[in-house]
Amino acid sequence: MGRIIKYFMPYILLLPVLLLIVFIFIAGIIFGALQSLGYFPAIGLKTFTLKYYKYIFKDPNFFSSLKFSLYTSFVSSFLAVVVGVLLAYFLLANSKKDLGFYNVYKIPIIVPHTVAALLVFVLFSQSGWIARILYRLGFIHNMTEFYPLVFDSKGIGVILAYIWKGAPFITLITYDILKKINDSYSKVALNLGANSFQVFWYVLLPLALPTILSGFIIIFAFSFGAFEIPYLLGPSNPKALPVLAYIYYKSIDLFERPYGMVINMCITFYSLIMVVLYVLVFQLIKKYKI
Amino acid sequence: MKGFLKNFIILVLILPLLIMFLWSIVNSWPWPYILPQDISFRAFLYIFEPSTKIFRILINSILLSAIVTFFTLLISLPAAKALAFYDFKGKSLVKVLLLLPLIVPILSVAMGIHLSFIRLGIANTYLGVILIHVIPGIPYGVKILLNVFELNGNKMEFQARTLGASKLQVLRYITLPMIMPGLIVAGSIIYISSFTQYFITFLIGGGKIVTYSMVLFPFIESGDRTMASALSVIFVINIGIVLYISEKLVGNIYKNSSKYFV
Repeated sequence: MGRIIKYFMPYILLLPVLLLIVFIFIAGIIFGALQSLGYFPAIGLKTFTLKYYKYIFKDPNFFSSLKFSLYTSFVSSFLAVVVGVLLAYFLLANSKKDLGFYNVYKIPIIVPHTVAALLVFVLFSQSGWIARILYRLGFIHNMTEFYPLVFDSKGIGVILAYIWKGAPFITLITYDILKKINDSYSKVALNLGANSFQVFWYVLLPLALPTILSGFIIIFAFSFGAFEIPYLLGPSNPKALPVLAYIYYKSIDLFERPYGMVINMCITFYSLIMVVLYVLVFQLIKKYKI
Repeated sequence: MKGFLKNFIILVLILPLLIMFLWSIVNSWPWPYILPQDISFRAFLYIFEPSTKIFRILINSILLSAIVTFFTLLISLPAAKALAFYDFKGKSLVKVLLLLPLIVPILSVAMGIHLSFIRLGIANTYLGVILIHVIPGIPYGVKILLNVFELNGNKMEFQARTLGASKLQVLRYITLPMIMPGLIVAGSIIYISSFTQYFITFLIGGGKIVTYSMVLFPFIESGDRTMASALSVIFVINIGIVLYISEKLVGNIYKNSSKYFV
């Protein structure tokens, strides 16, 4: 009897969490998939069909949205990683002296994405603070001469907001892992004549790489699937994928909804690839026992 | 050089918030002035004016996120325990399942489940919004608590049981104090995640459940910089207070709390 209870114990402990994950999260993905395949009994659609996929995959708007989302997410996540890792290195180099600074860098992490969008708007729009400074310095003569960085088709405003939010997050996880990595490697390298940058580049960074990569995956997947920042700062054409999905979803015509679900399935598909990469990266971390 | 670099980094981090703060206390701040010309607290007065109900919505949102946090921790705790101390079939599958909401966007999931929530009658209710807010919090709750359990082990509980403590006593006097720092750190992350959700609240709440994020969003959308900034200042301060309290609590229990971060 005791053995049976012991056998089932972990499942009982996991039950509440798994119920929610299965009946809300997984079910949400499955219902979305069914609707994208045209199975939507609520409005009388009961036959499975690929026509929504065919339509969306022929739509040039969809591809420009996909490109826009991949491009803004990749560029912002990549730059956030570069900036975040450098900042972590910088913190490590002055860690003993400066505790105040150590806390300041975390500020963007707690600022909500919607507020980050406002910050970019206030600073970088054509009547924003940066444009005013440039005007005062005589670089531009009126606000329209300031290159539009918000609502622009290159998505610069979106990218800036994600970098500002993402880089400190990368710093947080990288700094933590850099501190944990055994000191002795660095000491050996220093002893053999490496300078402190070489120690960072050839010794610490490779050891921290799996963690940095997992951070990249998290912020990439987030920016790829989030609505707020591209909706508030992005161009009206092309729209980011989540924005496009929402427009189809919210259409008064319920028969439009499957198109939105097709786009959602694309977002989910890309993020599932990210999950696989994430799991692989974690196996790497375990292998190297970091 | 180093001093310059440091100041530059601080500037990039702080300046946007400073400009936002200035915007929150202006009457008007026309182009091309670099500093506001005429200070006024009209936005804050408007926010705290009872007829706008914004303050009440703020309190409601705080309560909503507190409930979400409590509930998420309550279900994450046994799950983390199972993953830390038991070997069982399907363990790695469960680990991946619990990780999914960290990476797969909740937006697609919410649109997929929306219809079922309507059918069940929990769309446009607090229950529905709480349930959908719990999902993105689960990976943080489980992962952080799992780390804590793995660091501490279960030897202490075992000893106490051997010495005759009841299960409840073990929970009260050993387990809870031991994992308290992890609970506080995970709790503050879950709270922030819930408090800042806009899209899924808007979708599942159907406009009937209004949270603070939903009050803020239209002001940013319409470009009302003064109102949006004032609301954002309060938004950030609220989160700052929660984090400050939690950090102080953790600091009192453990000195090296940052190791529980993801």
